[in-house]
Amino acid sequence: MGVGDYIWMGILAVFQGPEAFSLFGIGISITVLMVLAGFLLGIIVGATPGLAGPMAMAISLPILISAFGFSPDALLPVMGFLIGVMKGATVGGAVPAILFNTPGTPDAYMTTLDGYPMTRAGQARKALKLAHVSSASGDTFSDIVLILCAPFLAVLVEAYLDLPEKTALLILSLAFISSVIGGSVGKGLISMGLGLLAVYIGTGEEFYPRLSFGTQALAQGFPVATAVLGVLILGEVFRALEDLWHERRATAAAAEPAQTGDQHLHWADIRRIAPYIARSAVIGTVIGALPGIGSTLAATLGYSSGARRHARKRPQAVQFGEGAPEGIAATEAANSSVSGANLIPVLSLGIPGNAAAVFLILAAESIGGFNPGPGVFKFTAETVNPELVAAFGLFTMMMLANAMNWTIGGAFMRMAGVMVRVPKPILLPAVLLLTLTAIYVQEGRMLAIWFAIGFGVLGYLMRRVGMSPLPFVIAFILGGKLEDTARQAFAATGGDAWFLFTHPIAALFMALAVLFVALSLRKPSEAQR
Amino acid sequence: MRPPETGSRANLYLALGAIGVALVLALVWVPLDSGSGLIVKVRRQVTIGDALAPTLAAGMIAIGGLLLLFQRGAEGQGGLSRANLAFLLRFLLLCAAGFAIMRWAGPLAVAGANLVSDETLSYRTLRDTAPWKYIGFFLGGTFLIAGMIVQIEGRLSRRAVVIAVLAVAALIALYDLPFDDLLLPPNGDV
Repeated sequence: MGVGDYIWMGILAVFQGPEAFSLFGIGISITVLMVLAGFLLGIIVGATPGLAGPMAMAISLPILISAFGFSPDALLPVMGFLIGVMKGATVGGAVPAILFNTPGTPDAYMTTLDGYPMTRAGQARKALKLAHVSSASGDTFSDIVLILCAPFLAVLVEAYLDLPEKTALLILSLAFISSVIGGSVGKGLISMGLGLLAVYIGTGEEFYPRLSFGTQALAQGFPVATAVLGVLILGEVFRALEDLWHERRATAAAAEPAQTGDQHLHWADIRRIAPYIARSAVIGTVIGALPGIGSTLAATLGYSSGARRHARKRPQAVQFGEGAPEGIAATEAANSSVSGANLIPVLSLGIPGNAAAVFLILAAESIGGFNPGPGVFKFTAETVNPELVAAFGLFTMMMLANAMNWTIGGAFMRMAGVMVRVPKPILLPAVLLLTLTAIYVQEGRMLAIWFAIGFGVLGYLMRRVGMSPLPFVIAFILGGKLEDTARQAFAATGGDAWFLFTHPIAALFMALAVLFVALSLRKPSEAQR
Repeated sequence: MRPPETGSRANLYLALGAIGVALVLALVWVPLDSGSGLIVKVRRQVTIGDALAPTLAAGMIAIGGLLLLFQRGAEGQGGLSRANLAFLLRFLLLCAAGFAIMRWAGPLAVAGANLVSDETLSYRTLRDTAPWKYIGFFLGGTFLIAGMIVQIEGRLSRRAVVIAVLAVAALIALYDLPFDDLLLPPNGDV
């Protein structure tokens, strides 16, 4: 089996999987249909202020698993739907930002700066088209980098990293995430420590489940869904509910200014914005490849870099912040190019870098048969490595979602503008019950709902004190793996307590971990989610 | 309304709290509530014990608290006010009431039916049978959603109740109707 064979099998797995229906005699695979459904849902979710892609991914997961089961055939349709949501939400976030000055997702905030002035100037449709082209370009570029880089990185990891180095790499990733996210590295480390503590409750190798107070309730530990959905989704819903609670007013539907003039996107426009898209796509891809740094920072860096270039090269043109098409392009290309690159650490190292990646890993773990990490990219010649076929299936689905984005994304994006009119006082309580129901149908006990509410309160408090919940969630996901790898490394080195420092690469990773924390101490980093 | 504890003061409390929690964890909870110590020696074989990982997690929390002491003057750090805590309390009470209705409305309805009929029904045997299986989720869910809308809008309206009913009906349609293997709350517990 050569590389080409694996790529072809991955493509076939997507297009020749279980058939949903037949169109003019051609079978349409259920996987293709799920990518499309996820993509359209993602645009709607992204275009709805108060909802976000990870939220939809979290709520869909139990429904998808119930519908498709735990068989190997379930993996690609489920992952395809989630990838579709992830990509659709990236595009959809720009819609309310441009039309109503309200970012649909946090990373679309910078889009409001130039998008809404264009709408007020009667050029909303053109602004949406610009955002779409920029977003689709950034996303596609990022996916190409992912497809080219992840396998090589994974092969390098498998070739050079043994158990001590893998343990040190996990510690480095957690230290990096804690350092770069949130108001301060101190809060990042507290968040990470709490995540590790939570995942260690009720687990361990001894007969007695540790930290359980001897109770049955804690003996099985906290289900992943309760911790992740509680801290990430419920915490955000609680915070948003309180903001509304204090405002005591319904979100007024914004009026759309009358649109006039040329709404077409010409080649001249595309040539004008192309350098900004290219620069931002590179920035977003680099940022996205680093675990923990979100699309909001990518958008900010892409925008500020574009603004400097624009002021220098075209001082006579409309400047950023005043309705410059280049401003929309710089922001949307940057925040969209994060999504593909974010999967580089997931597929090559097994380390989730953002909330969307967390749900992709959860889906893979729930269904089984695919363990994101360096082990996936084993190019076996004699036998077929099904994980590698699935990985190329994932890449195919990402490119398929990009194709959908380029073809129908723009039109659907413009239609999704209506979602901004859904009032938050109705939306948030419904999302709350939806999330709790999703948790219950997965776990089947009221205790799980109470755990989720407890984690939701923790997520709410974290947000209020300026602490990012993402290090908590990533530590919760990686905590078990960290302990297992450390146990194996300790045993493999003959009980060497200093195994993290006696192996050169492991020692280098540990030194880098300390360095990141020390550097972050010098000045508080920007809040990122 | 008291202003939130912002900036350095809020961070000072948070840092001290984190250090305190970490100390209790590392010195009391983990040693007393783990099946083995930090390191385990069995027949000359040394392995990592169950207490090591949570102790290191406590260490992370403590280091985070200490670093926060040095960074407590940083801007944009947020804080907690009494109003935040009051919201949380009201919200949790609303959830508790909603979940209590969800948990007990079905069994109470069955008990009521037993009073007026000759049959002796049990909710446990009916928990996967319509309409019994929907009673708790429908009433509890409607109470929860309508209660939150009422709290946000500051008044009870027919619109809030109608929206809550529609939202719960949509959830039933989403999770229960297409899947035989999924149980709506509270039917997995009873």
